[in-house]
Order: sequence, then C-alpha cells, then structure tokens
Amino acid sequence: MTLLQVEQLKKVYPDGTVGLKGISFELEAGEFVAVIGPSGAGKSTLLRCLNRMVESSSGTITLQGNTITKVKAKQLRAVRRKMGMIFQGYNLVARSTVLTNVLHGRLGYMNSLKGALGLFNKQDTELAKALLNKVGLSEQMYKRADELSGGQQQRVGIARALAQRPALILADEPIASLDPAASQTVMQTLYEACKADGIACLCNLHQVEVAKKFATRIIGIRAGEKVFDGAPEQLTDEMISYIYEGAKHEEAVGRKETA
Amino acid sequence: MNIEQQYMQKVRKQRIQWFVFIVVLLALTVWAAIGTNFNLFVLFSGLSEGFSFLFHDLLPPSPATLPSLLDAALDTICMSFVAMILGSIIAAVIAMFTAVTTTPFPRLRYFFRAATALLRNIPVLIWALILVSGFGLGNLVGTLSLLIVSIGMLVRCFAEALEEIDRGQLEALKATGASHLQMITSAVLPQFMPSFIGWSLFNLEINIRASTIVGMVGGGGLGFMIQSGIKLFQYKQVSMAIILVIVIVLATEWLTGRVRERLI
Ligand SMILES: Nc1ncnc2c1ncn2[C@@H]1O[C@H](COP(=O)(O)OP(=O)(O)OP(=O)(O)O)[C@@H](O)[C@H]1O
Ligand SMILES: [Mg+2]
Repeated sequence: MTLLQVEQLKKVYPDGTVGLKGISFELEAGEFVAVIGPSGAGKSTLLRCLNRMVESSSGTITLQGNTITKVKAKQLRAVRRKMGMIFQGYNLVARSTVLTNVLHGRLGYMNSLKGALGLFNKQDTELAKALLNKVGLSEQMYKRADELSGGQQQRVGIARALAQRPALILADEPIASLDPAASQTVMQTLYEACKADGIACLCNLHQVEVAKKFATRIIGIRAGEKVFDGAPEQLTDEMISYIYEGAKHEEAVGRKETA
Repeated sequence: MNIEQQYMQKVRKQRIQWFVFIVVLLALTVWAAIGTNFNLFVLFSGLSEGFSFLFHDLLPPSPATLPSLLDAALDTICMSFVAMILGSIIAAVIAMFTAVTTTPFPRLRYFFRAATALLRNIPVLIWALILVSGFGLGNLVGTLSLLIVSIGMLVRCFAEALEEIDRGQLEALKATGASHLQMITSAVLPQFMPSFIGWSLFNLEINIRASTIVGMVGGGGLGFMIQSGIKLFQYKQVSMAIILVIVIVLATEWLTGRVRERLI
C-alpha cells in the first residue's frame, strides 16, 4: 500500500504569498526522497503542510489510506506521531537533558497528563537509551541539550524523531547549519536509521551532491511547483540548472520590473 | 551644496532644537512649581522643622519597644511571602493564557490582559481601603491587597517573558503529537523557569515595601504599628519600627540576590 499520497496540494499564506501551487506525488514505505529547489521554492511549506504544522489551502493528503487533511484534536496528534520531524535549528529543549529530549518523542502516545508530568514508563526510557546508543550519544545522555555540538544536537533530533516509531520522517534541511564532517555523520545516521526500520524519509536539502548520494529518488521544486521527480541518475546538469537557474532568471526579471 | 555646508546646517538645526527644548523644560518646571506652591524658602523652613522632628522626637529609637514590634515584623514578612508564593503561581497560570506563544485560546487573550491590567493599575492603597471596608482591619486584608497587586504585576512580567521564549522548541514538540498541556510543561516551563524565579523574588521585595503602606490603612504588620505610633505620639516606637522595615527590606534584597545567583 502507498504510504503517503499527496494530491494537488496548494498553500496560499494569509498575506497572499503562494507557497505551493498544486503539488502531487506518492511515497512508498522505505523510500528516501530528497526535495531540492531554490530558496523560497516552497520546500519547508510542503513538509509543514504534511504534518499539519501549516494548514494547506486545498488538496488532499492521505497517510496509510486515511485522509488526514482535515483531522482534528486527538486524531491529529495520532497522525503527527506517525511523522517524525527534524529541523534545521535542531529545536531541542535547550535546558532539558539529552535523554528527556529523546523521550519527548513518546509524548504523542501518552495520556496528556502523564506526559505533561514527565511520567515516562520503563519501556519508553529503555527505547530512548537504545536510540541514543544507535546515534552514538550514550555518553552524553545526562548532559543538557545545549551543551552539545551542532552535529550532536541534530543526532539527538534524529533520536527524538525515531522515538516516535514513525512511518515517515520529515527533515527540513537537517544539515544546513553544519560543517561538512558533521553533515556527513548526520546524513549517514539518518539514512541508516530509516533504512534499518523501513521508515520513509522526505528530506529538504540545499546540496545537490548530498541529495544524489543518499536519495533513492529526488523531487525538484521551483516556485511552488514540482518540476522534477525521478531517480538520482536522471537528474542531469541541465535539469539542475532548470530547477535553480529558472528561479534566478525569474528573480532577475522581477527585479527589473520593480526597478 | 557641499558636505561641509550640509554638516554645518545640521549642527545649527540641532542647536536650535536643544535651545527650544531647554526653554520649554524650564517653562514647564516654573509653571509646575507655581502650581504646587513650591519655593526654595518654604523648602528650607520645612526641612529645618523636619530635622528637628527627626532628631528630637523620632530619635533615638527605643529598643524597649522592640519585642512588641517583632510580632508585627513577622506579620509583615509572612504577608509579603504568602502574597508572593500564591501570587506567582496564580499569575503564571494566567500568564500562560495571556501570552501569544502559550495561550490555548488566542481570542481570549485580550480579556485576560485587560482584567489583570485592572488589578495592576489600581494602587495597592486603594485595594487595601476597599478590602478593609469588607473584611475589617488585619493581616488578611494586608495579604489580600498585596496578592491582588502581585498578580497584576507578575502576569505582565511573566507574559512578556513567555512571549520571548524560543518557539522552535514548542514547534518541535507539537510536531511529535504532544498535547497543549504537554507542550507547556515540557517545552515552555524549562525556558520560563529563570524568569519565573527572578520576577517572583523581585515581587517579594516589592511586597515587603508595599506592606508598610498597606499596614498604615489597616492591613496589619509594621505599617499598622507605625500608623498607631504616630497617632499616639509614640515616636520612639515609630522610629524603631521604621528601622525594622529598613532592616527587613535590606535583608530581603540580600537574600533574594543570593537565591537568584544560585538558581539562575
Ligand atoms: N508564514 C508565512 N507567511 C507568509 N509567507 C510565507 C510564510 N512562510 C513562508 N512564506 C513564503 O512562502 C514561500 C515558500 O517558502 P518556504 O519557506 O516553503 O521556502 P523554502 O523552499 O523552504 O526556502 P528555503 O530554502 O529558503 O528554506 C516563500 O515565498 C516564503 O516567503
Ligand atoms: Mg525552508
């Protein structure tokens, strides 16, 4: 069964900015898909619409056969916990421990009050510790999250997402703030974790080489539209410049018009 | 016009602005002084009478009255402390509803905001007078009026602190499927704790000072002893009470400073 089905997804922000102009694609379980495109193309908007952090204007999103475009409250929580999210700025709770941050991934499964009081059960704690081991951070478990390096923090972010036992991980430029060495570790960690557990991943990336290296499939977005969808080998240099330069060209025209 | 000339013109303009500003300020001061019958002669004659009252009537303080004042001093401390503890807890809850970042009901924000502005902007003295007419004299009135004003002040400080927290951390928890309550305790509280403690301690200092004023209109504690001492011409007792107030205020400031260093 198809894991995720996106049909004619559109997003117009309240100020009139068009984020997505009707995007459709399907995602199978275990696929590792890189989303590339110039700045402002709508990559973040797409990911945020999928887990309903941003409400889309029209179109439908179907996850594991259920339409989730309009679900509310409890069901929405249940949908979100099936999708882990990883952020460019890591977004860890800075003053809490690394272990607590990973345990946050379990909140969606818990009774609201129990979770609010931080009463995680033994299995959850064991799971969190095992995941920290997996991303190579067992030693740092009881440190405050903001004491870690950027690359380490992002690996905690990955562990938090994995703690949700998700079917899908949405990663919004997970390595944009990292140096090449840390980027490599983070991408490797993310890739291997997804592969091992059959988790699908949608990963926004700025670096085309990284996308080509890890992705099983690449989606190119330009000005809110899908302009490429295929295997990494099919992504030719012409296609790359079409995805990126097209926008530059349009921007230049726009600038001339406003000048 | 060259740059030199432009600069000179700017300097000239600024000079004129300064001149006008100072003239207006002087005029306002003179006008206000006339309005309030303020003049230097009155100031000095008043001051000399003040000094004679201070040195002949008030000083030296009478240590013999100290034991009878200690009870009142303890009342003052207790009232301020209780108002701070209850006030900061209640204010934290209200502030969560008031701040954009944390409110579960964005439309009701302005209601909470306006309600607490009312608490804050009516002076503590007025609250005490109103409450005395309802509850009679005593510590309860003192505590209640301090509590009301504490809530008013703290909601505002807390809400501002809450609006400055990092939203990314909230967003991350929302994305895991956490409930609103879970987001508040897991992502908001850790960020909010330092400001919560800092403002609450500052509120304790304010309460100690305000409690003397509240006491004077019947709210109990040292303020009440000062007021009754003045009425009964027991000036040596009054000065002893004032010294106690100063000691308590300084001690609180020192103590809160230490706690702040430790916790934040
Ligand atoms: N909250 C918002 N309100 C209004 N417009 C927005 C908002 N968020 C994004 N946009 C606009 O929507 C468009 C798509 O933005 P988006 O952040 O999805 O781009 P992106 O591809 O992620 O870019 P980047 O690579 O720079 O992160 C941009 O024009 C952006 O200015
Ligand atoms: Mg983005």
